[in-house]
Amino acid sequence: MKASFPNLGYDTYALKTFVEDLGGEVILAPPNSRRTVELGALHSPELICMPYKITLGNMLEAIELGADTLFMAAGARKCRFGYYHYLHERALKDLGKECRFIAVTQYSPFDFVFKVMPGIFGVSPFRVIRAVAKLLAKSRLTQEFRQQLNRKMALDFDGAEQAKPKALSVIERAHTLKEIQAARGEVRRIFALNGSEPAIRLGLVGEIYFMIEQFASQEIEKELGKMGAEVVFERSLYRHIRHLLSSDPAFVRSGRLARRYLQESPGGEAIRTVGEAVYFQQQGLDGIVHIFPFTCMPENIALEALQKLSEETGLPVLSLSFDEHTSRTGLLTRLEAFVDLVKRRKLGRRLHRN
Amino acid sequence: MKVGIPRALLYHRYGRFWEEFLAGIGAEVVVSRRTDKVLLQKGLSHVSSEICLPIKIVAGHIEELVGKIDVLFLPRLLWLEDKLYACPKMIGIVDIARMMTGDRVRVVAPKIQGSLWLPHFRAGMELCHDPMRVARALTRARRHIPVHDRTPLFPDGEKRVALLGHFYNIGDDFISRPMVDTLTGHGYRICTKDELPESVLRSRQGFARSIRWVYERELYNAFRFLVDKVDGVCMIVSMGCGPDSLVAEFMRDEAQRRDRPFLQLVIDEHTGTAGIVTRIEAFLELAERRQARALQISDSRLKIGGQGRAA
Ligand code: SF4
Ligand code: SF4
Repeated sequence: MKASFPNLGYDTYALKTFVEDLGGEVILAPPNSRRTVELGALHSPELICMPYKITLGNMLEAIELGADTLFMAAGARKCRFGYYHYLHERALKDLGKECRFIAVTQYSPFDFVFKVMPGIFGVSPFRVIRAVAKLLAKSRLTQEFRQQLNRKMALDFDGAEQAKPKALSVIERAHTLKEIQAARGEVRRIFALNGSEPAIRLGLVGEIYFMIEQFASQEIEKELGKMGAEVVFERSLYRHIRHLLSSDPAFVRSGRLARRYLQESPGGEAIRTVGEAVYFQQQGLDGIVHIFPFTCMPENIALEALQKLSEETGLPVLSLSFDEHTSRTGLLTRLEAFVDLVKRRKLGRRLHRN
Repeated sequence: MKVGIPRALLYHRYGRFWEEFLAGIGAEVVVSRRTDKVLLQKGLSHVSSEICLPIKIVAGHIEELVGKIDVLFLPRLLWLEDKLYACPKMIGIVDIARMMTGDRVRVVAPKIQGSLWLPHFRAGMELCHDPMRVARALTRARRHIPVHDRTPLFPDGEKRVALLGHFYNIGDDFISRPMVDTLTGHGYRICTKDELPESVLRSRQGFARSIRWVYERELYNAFRFLVDKVDGVCMIVSMGCGPDSLVAEFMRDEAQRRDRPFLQLVIDEHTGTAGIVTRIEAFLELAERRQARALQISDSRLKIGGQGRAA
């Protein structure tokens, strides 16, 4: 089996290790590029949200490289994501691509461990559990990597850029639990933070695919880092898996904090987006950046809540929606203006206090 | 006590029921006026520009009511039987309404999960405190919940077009008037989803089974039922509507396979009547050409058949 799956930011490595642990051979899709999006968009319904287009592009490019089995996550069908795989499968069939397509439902971890994965790879549930444990460890590693990278970028952008490939190769090479443990220390050493504080800290919230796959948001963390803002985030693959295993305290907290604005979950990740924003506000962060795909349904509801939060607390909030036509210059201008505003506001408050 | 209902979204299905029910418990019911440009404009300033037209419209209606009412009655549909969900925005609109109105009005939002009875009873109790009266009002109002069990007839020789779309779009004259006028003006009978019996709309056959949005399943079922009985299918999709962007895609596919003209009419607040009319007319032309071609084919088939017998 030559398995492939859509890219998922830095966590692509974690997923690769997971499939390899189960005995599959992995063919990674080429890194996301202009071509990926264009290829995907060409064969997508016009009005669908952006994660669909990119993931379809990934699949098509992976098939070009010889993948014969494609994995795609499936959801609760409250939002479009739950239906992606029907469209993916159909699009691949229409294009005459010969491959096995496997949609993996997220919300039944028990089935996942005891039925689905053993059925596909012919391995024991015990091995699946071990692989999941490793997936957790590795995605935690990438989460830490991202946190440290973001801080380093805000303080010393060039240094961070230099250190990044080295850290990534350490992550890629870590295979056993022990190695992953060792890699955590090494990554920390590579980024060598000296304890100084960045000028401003911004909380990043939004739709989960955008939170994980930086390409979709045109590497917003990097751009903000370049402007001297540390990007703090909470959502990651690690947290998401913990949530699927019903062991994520942050999820419960988000639900509680979001209630002031949203009393009922509209599906998707709106509750988390709002809950995290409120949390970041309480933690004293200087602003919120909210990213999501153009016409994303839950996030557009969350947007109203974030506006209200901003109105009530004075916390600057920047909501940005993206599609494949989003102009880079326009984006950078808006980010710069926002960072300026946040910096000025912070300075003003500090002066005021003195 | 003045209770306001926005004339939008679910009102287009449950409006009569709500009016009757609220009047039954002694409330003075205020329904916002019919949608117009001014109302829409009010809505636009309250919600993100990416949101679909129906939500913008309902926001306008809510804004219109504020100041004239004490209580806003805005049921929140989470799911209907069989755990079929409402769309995220329909669920979220109640929270948006709360944030919009702040403490200017009280929002009463019965949470519909499966059955209508209990949540409405609770909401009634919030307003009236007399359980007997609430129960009586509910029972009496119930007959206004539209139920269809008869299948309409589809006589031969009639020109028909299926006009599909969410009932709050079709039911809102402001949106559907130009489409309806153009179609009827060209002598077509319009078939909509809401005149079909429940047995058709609730069907779980084929792909409909996989659709977990309540109104999308209805739309898809209506499409499957009507597609062979009409000359063409016209689907109204709001720009930014998530569910429709998907389901319309499956419809288009199927229509193509069956060689039926299919028009996806994407609308938002900038859509002008002229644009709609042009697109529908082009679509009707296609439908007529296809009709003519179909006749020709069956004509020539007859001839070939005739020759065959003669030989
Ligand atoms: S959450 Fe947003 S991006 Fe994800 S499927 Fe739903 S609409 Fe699309
Ligand atoms: S189903 Fe579509 S049109 Fe209706 S509220 Fe949801 S997004 Fe808007």
